[in-house]
Formats: sequence, structure tokens, C-alpha cells
Amino acid sequence: MRTVIAALFYAVVGVGLTLAVWTGISAARHRPTGEIQMVLAIAVEAALLAQSVVGWIRLPGSGIAEPVTFVAYSIGILAPVPLGFQLARIERTRWGSICLSFAAVVVAVMTLRLAQLWGLFS
Amino acid sequence: MRTAVNDDLRAPGADTPDVAAEPTGPRRALITIYGIFALAATARAVVQIATKFHEAPLAYLLSLLSGLVYIGATVGLTTRRRWSRGLAWASCGTEFVGVLVIGTLSLADSVAFPDDTVWSGYGSGYVYIPVVLPLLGLGWLWHTRHMAHPARP
Repeated sequence: MRTVIAALFYAVVGVGLTLAVWTGISAARHRPTGEIQMVLAIAVEAALLAQSVVGWIRLPGSGIAEPVTFVAYSIGILAPVPLGFQLARIERTRWGSICLSFAAVVVAVMTLRLAQLWGLFS
Repeated sequence: MRTAVNDDLRAPGADTPDVAAEPTGPRRALITIYGIFALAATARAVVQIATKFHEAPLAYLLSLLSGLVYIGATVGLTTRRRWSRGLAWASCGTEFVGVLVIGTLSLADSVAFPDDTVWSGYGSGYVYIPVVLPLLGLGWLWHTRHMAHPARP
């Protein structure tokens, strides 16, 4: 089942970075966040939720070194995208795109840290 | 050109024509970054204190302080009360002094800091955002000091 979790981690990093770069380009072009980008943000959040739930289910038998840190990360990682989404929704300028882009970068980086805590790189 | 939306955002009593309204965008971007750092720093400190406080009590208490400072800055930037800007000034100022002092101490005395805080190494574990962020916050507060402030974040 290790490969399923690994695939989920990499998918989240991939989609998260895609959203980050795309909204970053929008910000550079003085564009507010578009509708498809908002849908992508919802998809990222859904994937993050799936990732956290799978992590919690598999946690008991995993034997990872820092379970408390892993749980803290898997909960905290759910917060940035809704925050960025809400600000991108009310701030219909390039700054809204910057908010969502930053949130997307953060969750991609946090996912890499989650994967590291899971022992994927060791 | 002023729109109805912009007028709606202006605080009561701030309709003097010669006072420019504060743009909402940069402040909302700062709220995003500060909000995420408030969460990250506070959660990190709580985990450290809960699981291994005896290893480095000073570092973990400073970790908690940094979390509280980020919360203060986030609240100061988000709310529109009489004390909001004062809180934001104090938080960003403390944050800047903190990241310089802790950054220097963590490099000079690594024994007292066996485990990282958000401000260790001037925030090197967070791509140096912690040392740049207070400058952005203070710069924004200075830039908008004479502007009319909107009622909503």
C-alpha cells in the first residue's frame, strides 16, 4: 500500500504546484483568479483531505518516527487553500491570485514534509 | 474611478475627498502569509512543547512567542478596531527584532537551540520569509499611515 500513498503525495504536490504556477502567472499578468483556477483549488483541497484521511487510517500500523508531528501537519495542511480561496474570491484583482498562489505553494511544500515524515524518502 | 464596491469598503468618517482609500489587495496578501505563519509557528511550538519540552525549553518557548506574534500581526491586519493598527505595528516590530535576535543567537549558541524555531538562522528553514515578512508588514503600515482604512479585511 506504500505505492498508493506515494502516488497520492506526488499527485497533490503536482496539482498544488500547477495551481501555484498558474495563479502566479495570472498575478504577473494583473489578472484576478479565474473560474477554472477556483475549481482547481477545490480539487486540490479535496485531494489534501483524501491524503490526510488515508494518512490517519494508515497511521496506527505505520511505525513512523514522529506521529504527533504528522497528525499536526495533516490537519494544518487543510487550512491554507480555503483561506487563499476566500481571499481570491473577495479580492478580484491580481492580489487575490497572489493569495491563492502562496497558499498553493505552502500546501505543496507541506505535502513534501508529510511524505518525509511518512518515511517516503528514507 | 470610484465604484460602489470601493465606497462600500470605506470606513465611516473616511469620506474626505483628499484622503486616498487604502487598497485592499496588498493587505489581503499579507493576511494570507501572516495567517499561514501564525498557524505554522503556533502548531510547531505546541507540538514541540507537548512532546519534547525538556530537550530545549528556551527554544520552544521562543517558538511559542513567535507563534503569538504572528497571531497578533494577523489579527491587527484583519480587524478594523481602534487598536488594530497599533497591534499590527507592535507585532511586526517585535517580529523583526525577534528574527534578528533569535537568528543571531541560533548561529552563535547552537547549544541553547538544539532544535529549530521559525526564526532560527534568520528563518532559513522557511526560505528566509520570516526575515523579509516583517519588513513588508512595517513597510505597508508606514505606506498606508495617512490613508483611509476600509472597514473589512
